[in-house]
Parts: sequence; structure tokens; C-alpha cells
Amino acid sequence: MHSLIARLASNIFWLGRGLERAENIARILYINETYGRDDPKGPDWTRVLRLYADLDRFNKTHDLSNAAAVLSFYVIDRDNPTSIASTIFEARQNARSVRHLISTEMWTQLNIFSSEVRSIRSRDLTTANLSSVASSIINGCQNYEGIAEGTFMRGEPWCFYQIGKYLERADQTTRILDIGYDRIHVDKGDAVATVQWNLLLRSVSGYHAFRSKYPGVLQPKDMVSFLLYDAEFPRAIKQCVDRITDRLRDIETRHGMRQDAQLENKRRALEFTLETGPGRNLTPNRLHLFVDTLQQSIGNISVAIDNSYFNQIIR
Amino acid sequence: MNRQNQKSEISKSLLSDYNSGGYFCEMFGHSGLSHTEAIRDKLEKLEISGLRRRSRNAEKELFNLGITFTVYTDRDSIDRILPFDVIPRILSQADWAKIEKGVKQRVAALNAFLHDIYHKQHVIKDGVVPIDLVKGNGNYRKEMCGVKIPHDTYVHICGIDIVRDEKGSFRVLEDNARTPSGVSYVIENRHLMMRAFPDLAEGILIADVDSYGSQLARTMKAVAPQNTRDPAVVLLSPGVYNSAYFEHVYLAREMGAPLVEGQDLITENDKVYMKTTNGLQQVHVIYRRIDDDFLDPKAFRSDSALGVPGLFEAYRKGNVTLANAVGTGVADDKAIYAYIPRIVRYYLDEDPVLENVPTNICREPEGLAKTLANIHELVVKPVGESGGYGVVIGPRSSKRQLQELEIRLQKNPSNYISQPVVNLSVCPTLCGRSIEPRHVDLRPFALTGDSTWVLPGGLTRVALRRNSLIVNSSQGGGSKDTWVLA
Repeated sequence: MHSLIARLASNIFWLGRGLERAENIARILYINETYGRDDPKGPDWTRVLRLYADLDRFNKTHDLSNAAAVLSFYVIDRDNPTSIASTIFEARQNARSVRHLISTEMWTQLNIFSSEVRSIRSRDLTTANLSSVASSIINGCQNYEGIAEGTFMRGEPWCFYQIGKYLERADQTTRILDIGYDRIHVDKGDAVATVQWNLLLRSVSGYHAFRSKYPGVLQPKDMVSFLLYDAEFPRAIKQCVDRITDRLRDIETRHGMRQDAQLENKRRALEFTLETGPGRNLTPNRLHLFVDTLQQSIGNISVAIDNSYFNQIIR
Repeated sequence: MNRQNQKSEISKSLLSDYNSGGYFCEMFGHSGLSHTEAIRDKLEKLEISGLRRRSRNAEKELFNLGITFTVYTDRDSIDRILPFDVIPRILSQADWAKIEKGVKQRVAALNAFLHDIYHKQHVIKDGVVPIDLVKGNGNYRKEMCGVKIPHDTYVHICGIDIVRDEKGSFRVLEDNARTPSGVSYVIENRHLMMRAFPDLAEGILIADVDSYGSQLARTMKAVAPQNTRDPAVVLLSPGVYNSAYFEHVYLAREMGAPLVEGQDLITENDKVYMKTTNGLQQVHVIYRRIDDDFLDPKAFRSDSALGVPGLFEAYRKGNVTLANAVGTGVADDKAIYAYIPRIVRYYLDEDPVLENVPTNICREPEGLAKTLANIHELVVKPVGESGGYGVVIGPRSSKRQLQELEIRLQKNPSNYISQPVVNLSVCPTLCGRSIEPRHVDLRPFALTGDSTWVLPGGLTRVALRRNSLIVNSSQGGGSKDTWVLA
């Protein structure tokens, strides 16, 4: 049995990342809109730009960061390589290149889904219409994920697909944490902050799960620990890191590849960062710094995977 | 309108207005064909509206499945499907037996010819084929002289374009011995047809086409370098931007072989390796869908970014097999085509089972004179072109077009051949709201490793424009499912 062509392994990895990313962008746009409903000035769209560190890039081509401009930037703008449209187009290109390695159903669904995304126009992107656009995108990504779950052979390609997906998910969960970090102090009775934290939880489909585990008054520290460590919540960062570890082990044992020392170091570093945590005395600043470190550790793994599997230096 | 007419209007069946216009019809012949009776009966029972609806659904399915070729703009891609006509083209057992025999014979002759011209060149020395037609041919690769390849098979995958004339006789129009494409449509068309029209095939025994992938894999393994225990076969594609990329994916999957691009392969010590997640792994057989020119920048075009430096040297040394072999283009050239019947007799000592279309070779004074004298009733084809480009059909061209052609012919006669217009057979085809005759051809696919296997049927291409004789997809052609009755 031959191993996977390195370039195609990379394309599968990015296919997994792309779909997860598109879903999360849609989630974040949606949540930002709801988040700002109680604000008389309306949602603050620069918050999303800051979240993805896109402020500079956005300001170069836009004068105003109003809803229309930001939504178009993130949903349909093909000049923005990280827009949902670009991400899905790229995912489809990746899927096309690995079409013989994924299931026909996965390809067909993505093919149909990408033409739906392509048909979104700027007039569809009003604040009032956002929740319906966002949920149809989320839905398309989830359909894809469900089909992959049910039809994708559990071989080497699947492992890389899963690693891509969970790396992206971990990264996106850190961004959700980052949205909420400045609301870390919830005074009893601070209705606005409570509502906002609840919204954040809803954006990651974690509200009911969190509520059943932590009934009573919402404590931000519980929420942070839920998003970081919960053993049952599938978008918790710890869960994502564990899945990545599982799949890396599969690749090494079932598919007979040597463990790469550099990659293993980066993986341990991520685990260590996560275990150390933001500290007991949670302040907005601490949480923000912690999230930053976490994002860096996640990025390091991505680079290490690239070096050890996709772009090995050929002697 | 009287009552009688009204009644016939209501009960009018699908094919009752159909008129093949004097051409040989694949469904009716000149006066009814017995082997198509069962399918005709079933078609008669369908309504045009139902046929149209099912046809639209079938084409939508092609889009959704991504059975498309892609046209790229700056940043976007537009997917086009090869239009699919829902009325199948039917071949009787007897017709198919003849085609199969003829294709095998032709492939054997092509392989013998290629082996000869790259070794002892008897065919030239014996005066069967003029030397300059071989050595002066742009697709002749002198680098192949003396190179030994497994089973002396040069043309592993061959597509032979066959037409049917007004009498219903099969004739070869063209050989495709380089990287013939279209086989994936044969198989996908069948799947599509069986999903959209399960009722049409009910009770009719049709030869199966699904085994192509496994036959291809078997063929590739059969031509692996000697003493390779478990040969690694790959399919080498120019990449996602190639218009036939869907087919490359399809065949790689059917064969269970990695789909690679030039950048995925590397040579070391005259061996070929693929770059995998687990380091380098040796490759033994490459089914390449890249032209000779682009295979290896060291051996051929140095500006090729699609190829693999050092590949030809590894091939020459026998460490890797290329399918098709390098240099097969000399055999499927339109100039050599005219000599194939003689080539068949020369190597096999048999009469050709499938005749050529009579051909004038304009490089010969006699051929040029005949062509110029009858230009208004001939088809003039440039040699060395493919895809139907540059073909001029005399009876359908303006005076001015013909005058321009005459100038081109006199300037460079050896660039052309001419043939009488073959009135290609027609097949009932769904055109808008009616069933009309449209011209068709047939491309059967033959696989040759240590022996030759022919996929039953082949690709029926149909010229969807009224009166058009050009079936190429680049020029408004579509395709049909091809049924060989079992």
C-alpha cells in the first residue's frame, strides 16, 4: 500500500480547515450581529475585524466599517482570501484535486453548496437577513461534515482531514473566547454581560450544554473553563487537541510513519500551554494574553505538520 | 382541421414525425432495423414532455456530480457539462463483433508499426511508408530509437474514431494513439442513463462497461518493468486546470492509483519516485495524460513546468514504463492514417476489417491535384491538428473560404489531406421539443498490455447543431450512451 501523495495530503488538510473556517466565520458574524442588538449604535463590526486581525487589510480597501462593508468583506468578497466565498471556493478546488480520495457524496454536496455560496449577493447581506444567510452557510458546512462522518474512509486521508478540521476549530474557539474577554467581570445583575456571554455560548452551540453543567448564576470563569477544557463539549479546545493527538498517533502507528521530533515537541507545547491555563485569577488582560499564546501554539503545530508531512525537504 | 387529424395529433407518438433525411439511421437503418425494435417500442410509449423533464434532471445531475470540464477566468471557474442526449445509440452483436475485431487488428498494426520505425525500419526500407512521413513528422521521437519497452506495446490506450457512411458501413476516420480522452463519459453516461431511464433498458441485455477501470489497472501492471513484484502505478495529470481533469480523477479512482502531477514526482539514479507523506516511494508505471513535449524538460521542451526532469532517462533505461509510450503520435497522424490499410497488410498479412475513408494525400502531386480540382466537394483537414480544428468542409463553405483554403494548400500542401464528405449516420436525438436526426460517430477504447481488450461500445459523440458533421465537444458536440446488445 502506497502512502498519500504529500501535496494531496496537504490539500485534504486544508479542505478540513476550510469548511470548519467557513462555518465559524458564519457563526461569528451571526453572533456579532446579535451581540450588538441591545446597543443603540448597533453592532460594532470592527470587533470582528480585530478578532481576525484584519483591521489593516480591511482599512486599505474600505472607508467605512459599517455592516454592509464588513459583511460583504467576510461573506462574498473574493478579493479577501479569508472570506467565506474564497474559503469555499478554495475548499472546492482542494476537493477537486483529491476527489478520488474522498467520497462521491462529499464532492457532490460541496459542489452544490459552493454554487449556493457563489450565488449570495450583497443585497442578501442586510443585518435583518444575516441570520438566514449565516444559518444556511452553517448548515451547508454541517451537512458536509455529516456526510464526511458517514462516508469518508478512515484511512490516512481522513486523518489529515480531521487534523485540519480540529486545528481550525481549536483556533476558532480561541477567537470566541477573545470576543468575550473584556466582559470577564460580570457583576451580579449585569444583565447585558450575561446576555452576551449566553450569546457567545449559543454561537458555539454550547448554551444548553453549559447550562446543564453549570446551573445557577453564570460565572465567567466557568465559561472559560467550559470552552477550554470540558470533556464532553465537542468544540472545547482540549477536545480538539486530543483529537489531533489521536490522529497523529494513527498516522504514526497504523500508517507506519516515523514520529517527527519537531512536530511532537510542538504538540507537547500546545498541551502544556493548555494545561497551564490562564491562571486562577482571571483578568481580561490575562485571558487575552493566554488566548494569544494558545493561538500561536496552534499555528506552530500547523507549520510543523507542513514541514514533516507535506513539504519534507528532499535530500 | 378535421377530426382525423385532431386524433392523430393527440395520439402522435414520440418517433412518428422522425425523418432521418436520407442518412443511415442508427435506430431505423434505411428501412427498419430488427435489433432496435424493443427499444423503439419503449420509446414510443414515452411522451416528449416526460423525456424533456428526465433529460433536464440528468443534465442537472451531471453538474451536481461535477462531471464537467472547466473553463477558467481570472479567479473563477465555469463548469460546463458535455451535453448528454438521452436517446441511446444501439449496436447489434454483429456490428460490435466486427468493430471489436477491426479495432484489435488496427491496434496490433499500430504497435507493430511503431516498434518497427523505432528499431529496424523495415516498413520504410520496403517502401511501404515514405521515410520523410516518418522522420519528418513532428511527433517522431528519434530518442525512442532502440528503446526496449515491455511487450513491445506502444499504444496501451487507444481510441479509434469510427463513422458509418450512408450505406451503413463502418469506416475509420482517425486513430488516437497519444492520450485519447472520453472514456469516463462512456461509463458515467451509462450510470446516468440507468438512473434516469431504468424503464428503457428493462428486459434488454446490454454489455457491461464497468470493468474498464479494473482492465486498465490490469493492463498497467502487465507492462511494469520486468521483475517488479508489486508495481506502483500512478496517473500523471497536468492538474486541476486541465479540461479533462474530471477524467483523470475518475480513472485514478477506478484504478485505485495515486493521481499525481509532475511536481509530485522526482528522479534519482534514473528511477522515479513519488513524494508521499512518508517520504519517497518508487513508481513503476505511469499512465500519463501529458503530451510527449511536456513530459521531461531535460529531454523535450525545456520550458515545461508540468513534467519531471530526468523522467525520459529513467524510461529509456527501463526503470519505469510510460503509457502510452513516447513517440506514438507519429502513428495517429492524419498523414500516416492514409497508409494504415497498407500497414495492416504489411505487418499482419490480413485485409483490414475496418476500411479507411478514402483519402488524398496532398503532399503527393496527384493527391493535391485531385484535392484542388474537387475542393468544393471534399473535406480538407490539416495534419497534426486535433479536436476538429482547421477542418474545412467543401460543400458547406463559401467561395471565399475555399479560395483562401486553395492558397493555403498550394503554399504548404504536405500539411493537408482531403477526403470525400462522409455523410455520417444519424441517430434520433432530443432537440428542443422534437426528436430530430443528428450525426454521430463512435470512439471505442482499446487497452493493450500483453493482449488487447476493447471496452464494449465506446463514446458516441453527437453533433447537436442541425446539419453539423463535427462532433467534437469543443465545437458543439454532445454524447450519448452506447449500448452493445449482449
